[in-house]
Amino acid sequence: MTTAPHRARADTAFLAALFVFLGLYVALIVAMLVADASFTSPADLWEAIRSDEIQSAAVLSLVTATLSAILSVWFAVPIGYVMTRFSFRGRALLDAVLDIPIVLPPMVIGLSLLILFSTPIGRAIESVVPITYQKPSIVLAQFAVACAFAVRTMIVTFQQIDVRHEHVALTVGCSRGQAFRHVVLPQVRRGMLSAFLLAWARALGEFGPILVFSGAMRMRTEVLPTTVFLELSVGRIDAAVAVSLLMVAAALIVLWIGRSFGLGRIGQ
Amino acid sequence: MRSIALGSVLLAALLSWWVLRADVGPATGTGYTLTVHCAAGIKGPVTRAAKEYEQQFGNRVELTFGGSGALLSALTVRNHGDIYIAGDDSYVSDAKQRGLVAEILALASMRPVIAVRSGNPKNITSYRDLLRLDVRTGLGNPEAAAVGKIAKRVATDLGFWDQLRDKVTVMKPTVNDLGNDLQIGTIDAAVIWDATVRQYENLEIIEDPQLSRQARNVTLGVLRCTTQPRPALHFARYLAAHDRGLLVFSAEGFTPIDGDEWADVPQLELMSGAMLRPAIDSTVTAFEQREGVRVNRVYNGCGILVSQMKTGSIPDAYFSCDQTFLDQVQDRFQDGVTVTANDVVMLLRKGNPKNIAKLRDLLRPGVRVGLGHPEKSALGALTTGLLSRTGHLDNLKASGNVVVESATGDLLVNQITAGSLDVVLVYRSNTAHVGERCEVAPIQEATSQARQPFAIAKDSAHPHLMRRLLDTLRGADSRRRFEELGFHWRDGERPK
Repeated sequence: MTTAPHRARADTAFLAALFVFLGLYVALIVAMLVADASFTSPADLWEAIRSDEIQSAAVLSLVTATLSAILSVWFAVPIGYVMTRFSFRGRALLDAVLDIPIVLPPMVIGLSLLILFSTPIGRAIESVVPITYQKPSIVLAQFAVACAFAVRTMIVTFQQIDVRHEHVALTVGCSRGQAFRHVVLPQVRRGMLSAFLLAWARALGEFGPILVFSGAMRMRTEVLPTTVFLELSVGRIDAAVAVSLLMVAAALIVLWIGRSFGLGRIGQ
Repeated sequence: MRSIALGSVLLAALLSWWVLRADVGPATGTGYTLTVHCAAGIKGPVTRAAKEYEQQFGNRVELTFGGSGALLSALTVRNHGDIYIAGDDSYVSDAKQRGLVAEILALASMRPVIAVRSGNPKNITSYRDLLRLDVRTGLGNPEAAAVGKIAKRVATDLGFWDQLRDKVTVMKPTVNDLGNDLQIGTIDAAVIWDATVRQYENLEIIEDPQLSRQARNVTLGVLRCTTQPRPALHFARYLAAHDRGLLVFSAEGFTPIDGDEWADVPQLELMSGAMLRPAIDSTVTAFEQREGVRVNRVYNGCGILVSQMKTGSIPDAYFSCDQTFLDQVQDRFQDGVTVTANDVVMLLRKGNPKNIAKLRDLLRPGVRVGLGHPEKSALGALTTGLLSRTGHLDNLKASGNVVVESATGDLLVNQITAGSLDVVLVYRSNTAHVGERCEVAPIQEATSQARQPFAIAKDSAHPHLMRRLLDTLRGADSRRRFEELGFHWRDGERPK
């Protein structure tokens, strides 16, 4: 045991060490953004904001990322619940399968989707809803990756809540569905919002699978990461950086509002 | 909780509606909508030219960008759209080999050069200088970037590839990755295309003759899967026209090729030996329909055609019955490409009433002989040569048996079919449609074969278009037609 002054000093050193790590990482992020900013100018930013192509890409990015994130949460909640509450043969293997979209290089996801929709089954689906190289392909490509992150978040969330509440509900006569709806879901709201925001952020930054599966068609399948790629492809670093900074700003605003209001309210 | 669930359903429904609805796209009016897969590195000129084209013709051009190789891979998996434009010709050749591309049009040439920052602070003067220890060097991956492959080949030929590979600071998959690195300042020099360097304000070009010799072309391929070849080729011709799309390429720092002159519907003239008519006419018509051009054909005896050309009437291309006639006007044409060969045969009246088997039988009294005119037609010149070589020419003239000398083989066939001649010497292809009305007999004493070269006029305003016509005439469908008529396929043989 240490004395009080000793402990205070030790705590200060400990906390200082923690903040050093925090500070270093934040400094790295901020330094990258400052470096980016040095490669562009307010005029470039203004030009980017005014460009029809970039406005179209921004709207498409926000819409598709939001839709992908909602779909991801819809899938992640039941999947997470099944993976934490039920034991069955092959669960470990299934658990690994769910991580495949995280492990695979993004381009491979795009290529796999492209091949999938070139098979007779894929073509049959496309005869009803055109997907490849169309806007829905962006949502599908984003969803394929983002959902895996949402699932991982929901699994951790379900693992953290106490199963006894559910058991109590079952013993007082609730069906499994009622227990899930009235007891489990209210407890995982924070996790659901976290899963949504993680999936949204992931979908917004998604690039590789979209380039392969959706193409990079101006005003049609061009999302903001595609814009950055296209600008870099022709050596316009200033424009690429301007679009990147716009993405950072948009993401920062959404994540900040989401976390401070959403998590705050839901947590109460 | 219920309100969150309901809200998410409503929001998802609204966003889904937007995504699906928006895919209908803006109205295209009466024009066509073309899908063009374009290498990202040439986005600038293609986007500008496409915009000008849209304004001028009311068609829509939807551009989709990516790396040349990545686009090719995607097209291999899922072939769709109308046009593929690659950063260098090797990708389009590859696409052609895979059966993805029909027509190929070159747009601009690019030379590999050494790129350095403005002012050349490291004083680099040659490719070998990249070995210097104080120079941070970037190269394209030889496996991924065409320019990387060239850099490797040249360095290997010069004997310093192993040194350079060990010393190089970074290898990147695209030239723009290297341009960006140079601009940011993480490397001092890189081997990239001259056109890429011109995209950056603060980079400059150092020429090395060993590298510069390895120029490549930015190339366009019209996809085989296009359902609208005529509008696709209309846009392709616009891009490749020296007074339209290539002006934009030039303004953006590329070195355009010497392209065709722009015309909405080009009017071309093809002069062709009459014997080729049945073999090529339908192919040329199909070409006209696919390309959206007019090819005015002038069929006649080659002697007559050559006379017309000598008086100044030069067509865009000349498909000659024989190399000897092309030789007479060769100064006005590029080198000819031999496509086919055709035998001279004897065509006899049905039942061969005069019992003609050999050339000397033509000398027998009372045999009515028809020959090609030796000056007006290649057939006549060949026949005269054949009779001379076999020692029958003078005797035949003296015999008075030669009743007629015609400018074309078809006229001779008409006359023998009508019964006014006993034997004519014509091309085997002239006999294709005589059926049972006459008999064909090969000439046993000697063979005589005419070779048909196709040549494009040096002054043609549309040499590339004519080259595509030649490519079409050398295609599989055309070959079948030629061979059905008795021609021998000699595609690509050097003229004798």
